[in-house]
Amino acid sequence: MAEPGDIAIGIDLGTSYSCVSLFEAGQPVVIPNEWGERTHASVVSFLEDGTVLVGNSAKRNIITNADNTVYSAKRLIGRFYFSDEVKKAQAVMPYKIIEGENNSVRIQIRDNVFSLPEISALVLKEMKAIVENYLGHEVKKAVVTVPAYFNDNQRQATKDAGRIAGLDVLRILNEPTAAALAYGFGKDITQKIAVYDLGGGTFDISILEIGKDVFEVLSTAGDTYLGGDDFDDRIMTWLAESFLKAHGIDLRLNKYCLQMLKEASERAKIDVGRDGMAKISVEGICQDPTGKVMDLNAKLSEVEFNKMVMDLVQRTFKVCDEALQGARMTAQDLDAVILVGGPTRLPIIRTSVRHYFGKDVMAGIDPDEVVAMGAAIQASSLLDSKSEHYLLDVTPLTLRVGTVGGYTDKIIDKNTPIPIERSKSYTTNRDGQEKVKIRVYQGESNKASECELLGEFEFSGFRIGYRGEVRIEVTFEIDPNGIVNVTAADVETGQKTSCTIRLSSGLTEEMIKTAQDKNAKTTLARGEAAA
Amino acid sequence: MEEGFEIEAQALAQVLDELDYFQILKVGQAGSPNDIKAAYYRESRAYHPDRFYQMSNVELKEAIGKIYKRINEAYVCLRDDTKRMKYLADILSPDRQKKLRFIEASEQEMKKEKEQEVGATPQGRKFFMAGLSDLAAQRFASAERNFKMALTYEPNNPNFKAKRDEAAKLVKSDMSIR
Repeated sequence: MAEPGDIAIGIDLGTSYSCVSLFEAGQPVVIPNEWGERTHASVVSFLEDGTVLVGNSAKRNIITNADNTVYSAKRLIGRFYFSDEVKKAQAVMPYKIIEGENNSVRIQIRDNVFSLPEISALVLKEMKAIVENYLGHEVKKAVVTVPAYFNDNQRQATKDAGRIAGLDVLRILNEPTAAALAYGFGKDITQKIAVYDLGGGTFDISILEIGKDVFEVLSTAGDTYLGGDDFDDRIMTWLAESFLKAHGIDLRLNKYCLQMLKEASERAKIDVGRDGMAKISVEGICQDPTGKVMDLNAKLSEVEFNKMVMDLVQRTFKVCDEALQGARMTAQDLDAVILVGGPTRLPIIRTSVRHYFGKDVMAGIDPDEVVAMGAAIQASSLLDSKSEHYLLDVTPLTLRVGTVGGYTDKIIDKNTPIPIERSKSYTTNRDGQEKVKIRVYQGESNKASECELLGEFEFSGFRIGYRGEVRIEVTFEIDPNGIVNVTAADVETGQKTSCTIRLSSGLTEEMIKTAQDKNAKTTLARGEAAA
Repeated sequence: MEEGFEIEAQALAQVLDELDYFQILKVGQAGSPNDIKAAYYRESRAYHPDRFYQMSNVELKEAIGKIYKRINEAYVCLRDDTKRMKYLADILSPDRQKKLRFIEASEQEMKKEKEQEVGATPQGRKFFMAGLSDLAAQRFASAERNFKMALTYEPNNPNFKAKRDEAAKLVKSDMSIR
């Protein structure tokens, strides 16, 4: 048995819901909170008394304490302030999204300003507390999952969140890989499988080949702008448009009405998926100009709903095409399809997936819990030197360096197994040059403007010489977390300077330390069981 | 950890830069794709860094990390038939020492070869492709015209020239029959 201090948990840090699991007696077990809830809304509500409420009880505060309640933070983590996703969030989120240093995103709650990793760290703190409450002692280590299609900035930010929460993050693990691990663990099967992972805010598809002890990711593809939230948005637009037509009032213009509308839409999506029909009824959603209180009433049939979201569903299959192509396979080559994420409970998804892959989806897998369970298996196996299975994962995006004229050069292709490294030689451009600057990108376009900037590095401290005389070898490494490291060395002297890619808008070590203190001092409020 | 493993790993890390990818994966140069995959799994089983995650010996951990990254690099090259063919030619050439790692120059050469095959300019490619379908449909005169047009965009493309000559020959033999 492992020592109490040597326990590692698996955390699925989702856009909408999070889940935590622990490997016990040879099996991954989902740990419920004190009210028996197994998944927890990734919602952080800052209360008047300075405590912080996280989870399903906090979700209710999205309406009653809208300005001080943060949800869907994962949509913003590791993004630049100028990105489309941030602009979109500003339009719909009731909490205040502001610009921080170097194009970073910050959230303002009353007089406090938080970085995104700090918000996610509060969700992680709650997950950690749930297990500690269950075990009766402290937990310090964790594997935290991310969408496979997350780029370096998003992975770094997630890792920072873990550190801020006082966790030693053993690994940043890809969600579909975690699901495949939970599926194949201890089964002694040889199969080619697809993991179709539609979460609250992101979509991933990974193709894997699994054997008795090996889990090889052949390819992965995704869309970090597509998730269950987008399905809710469709219902919301429909409800708002009908209300506008009937009463001449646009509910979306008031953030309070908007949240009621959003909540009703999410519920309608779940109802329509389960019952084939949803009755939407929100009492007192707004007042008309004369002060009369108005209700929202509507009915949504499955046929209507399917029509609304068909294009979103189709978009996931474009991504599936790409993944199959990357694995040099067709749908017929697959032995099984696994569905992950709450929205995959929708009949429209299940039917379309069955149709696309030409086979039934695997039964008996809980789409809300399987990722956390896989993370727990991996967490325990990293602590156990006798563990027998191993994961062969890949990098989801092509790594590039900027060249002249706004173009980029490929350094490491997408779907390359990790860890991996690749070196490239550069020479100085002018006499007496003291520094070289390298911009690193991730993306599938050779134009820099269409890729995500990871960072700009300046290397100095090598010999000074004539133009073209000093040769510098730059080594790009992608580690097992999918995180990029860059080192540079003077080829002749072997003198090395190294730095991990730190995005200019990311957090400095000092900021992380301060955030750790703040996080440790924060008291988690205990809510109540969900009604 | 098995005895001798540490010594073996340290020794392997030392000579890594002298080995070709087949030697790294311990697979024959004529190995089938299945052999390569099996070799990759076998070597992953031995050197996957996750197995040594908790190990306190930093030096050995570093050596294993270095080896495993090279194993992945070898696999990426050898699992791709085109890359593998190019690589094999590289390491059998007198330049072997310089080409033990599948380098950018090789990739550039591959790209160039491919361009020469089907054309480096959009217009050249278009006429060349049209010429190829003419050939397939036995419209030899039209094929010759298309290849000539392709050559106006890429006068030095050896593949275009060869196809033009082939089409020209066929045009002649075609006439002699009639």
